[in-house]
Parts: sequence; C-alpha cells; structure tokens
Amino acid sequence: MPKDNVNSFRELDPLLHSQLRLAVMSLLISLEEADFVYLREKTGSTAGNLSVQLDKLSQAKYIEVDKGYSGKKPRTVCRITDTGRKAFEEYLEALKTYIG
Amino acid sequence: MEDKNLTQNESLEIISRMIKETRNNMERGGGNIFLLWGYICLIVSLAVYCLLSNTGDYRFNWLWFAIPVIGYPGMIYMLKKREKGAITIASRVISNIWIVLGIVAGLLSIYMFVDYKAYPIMFVMSLLINSGVAISGLVIRFRPIVVAGFLGILLSFGMLMVAGINQILIFALLAVIMLIIPGHILNNASRKVKAENNA
Repeated sequence: MPKDNVNSFRELDPLLHSQLRLAVMSLLISLEEADFVYLREKTGSTAGNLSVQLDKLSQAKYIEVDKGYSGKKPRTVCRITDTGRKAFEEYLEALKTYIG
Repeated sequence: MEDKNLTQNESLEIISRMIKETRNNMERGGGNIFLLWGYICLIVSLAVYCLLSNTGDYRFNWLWFAIPVIGYPGMIYMLKKREKGAITIASRVISNIWIVLGIVAGLLSIYMFVDYKAYPIMFVMSLLINSGVAISGLVIRFRPIVVAGFLGILLSFGMLMVAGINQILIFALLAVIMLIIPGHILNNASRKVKAENNA
C-alpha cells in the first residue's frame, strides 16, 4: 500500500469498531430511546454480552442508561448522548477514508 | 452477535442493517389508531345526522362527545398494547402534535357552550384534524397520508358552502378520506414490510 494512502486513513474509534457496540449505536442514532429487550432482539446478542457492551458505552458517556420499571417489570432504557452522536459521526467520517 | 473486531465493509453493513430496522419500526400498528378514530367519527357523525334529520332535536348534538369519550381510552389502550421497546424520533413528534391538536379541539368544543355561533365548529375541527393528518404524513414521509391530509384540508372548505346538518355528511366523508383509507393503506404497508423481513 502506498505510504500516502496509509497516512490519509483516519483512526477508527476502537470503542465503536466492534460488532455489537456499533450495532447498538447504529440503532440508537435513529431512535429517541430503546429498551434492553429491543436492543437484544435487534442485535441478536445474548443478554450477558449486551449488558457488558452497554456498560462500556455508558462509561464512555456515549449512551445514557436508565434502570426503572414498566409496571412491575424492570426495564432498562438506553439513549444516545451528544458525545455518542459526535463519536458516531466521527466514526463514519473515518470509515469514509477507508472506502472512498 | 459477538463482540469482535470488524472490517470496514462489515461496519457499513451493520450500520445500514440496524438503521433499516429502526425505519421499519415507524409504521408498525400506526394504521390502527387512524382506523379507530376514523370509524368512531364515521359512526357518530352518521348517527347524529340520522337522529337530527328525523327528530330535529338538537340535544342529539351531545352525541359528538362520544368521539373523545370512546376514542381517547381506545387510543391509550392501543398505545399500551403496541410494542414499546423503542421510541422513534418521528413517533415522539407525531404524539406531541396530536396532544396539542387534541387540547385545541377540546377547547374549541368547550367554547361552544359559551357561544355556539362563535365559529363554524365543523369546519374548524375538520381543518384542525386534517392539518394533523397532513403533518403526520410529512413526518413519517408516507405519501398516502400526506395526500389524504391535503385533500381533507381542501374538502373542509366545502363545509362553508353547505348549510345546516348537511355539513355532518361532509364530516363523515372526511372521516373516510382522512382516516379510514390512510389507516388501511398504512396497515397494508406495515404488513408488506413485515412479510419482507420474515422472507
């Protein structure tokens, strides 16, 4: 690969460059909010794995996680934050440098 | 789905697939709320028309309040029953539009008790509801609803040209055009999307 091309590639955010975390962020980017069950169904992940990845996104302040109740059932609701939205947009910009 | 690293193409594929999933979410069950309001408006307006034309007793106008009395609990029940795993930005916008329109419609009806000649209530209500339908259609970018809304807005002016209880027949026609037909079209589209996803 020519040296010029290598230099023009932008680094991809390692937090987003993983299958499940990217899927979660891609869902949340076009939603106001989504609950844990919805995210698990749409991503096809296991509850344990999803929970770990949501924690990572939450620690990076990419998403907000609210743990509450819907009637008597516990319900975890996730929302993307401004930081998360910005990180997602930057990830897309960086991705373009590899594809374009 | 595993927590593994991706190639650039895999990243793009995930992003587009997940965004498509959220788009499908938008139309699901939306038609049923249009149908609920549409059939209530149609049945109540035809009932009021028949009773007024046969008896001439204007107390039957009280029956109009059956629309919110049946409609709002029915809508709340449907919204609770609907999948509530995710809220799209569009559905939040549409809910807020209808909350505002519902409050305005309620206030307009209540003011009729103060001065029933203050404004042509059937015309104002039709204009209000049809504007809501057109805006909802534009928000979800669903052409049949946009067309129904604007057609309804135009037909609302017909009420100014028709006298007396014949306005009620136009209102019944509007219920079919602005709510019932778009409701069925929306449900059909929703079923098609579901079938494509399952294929």
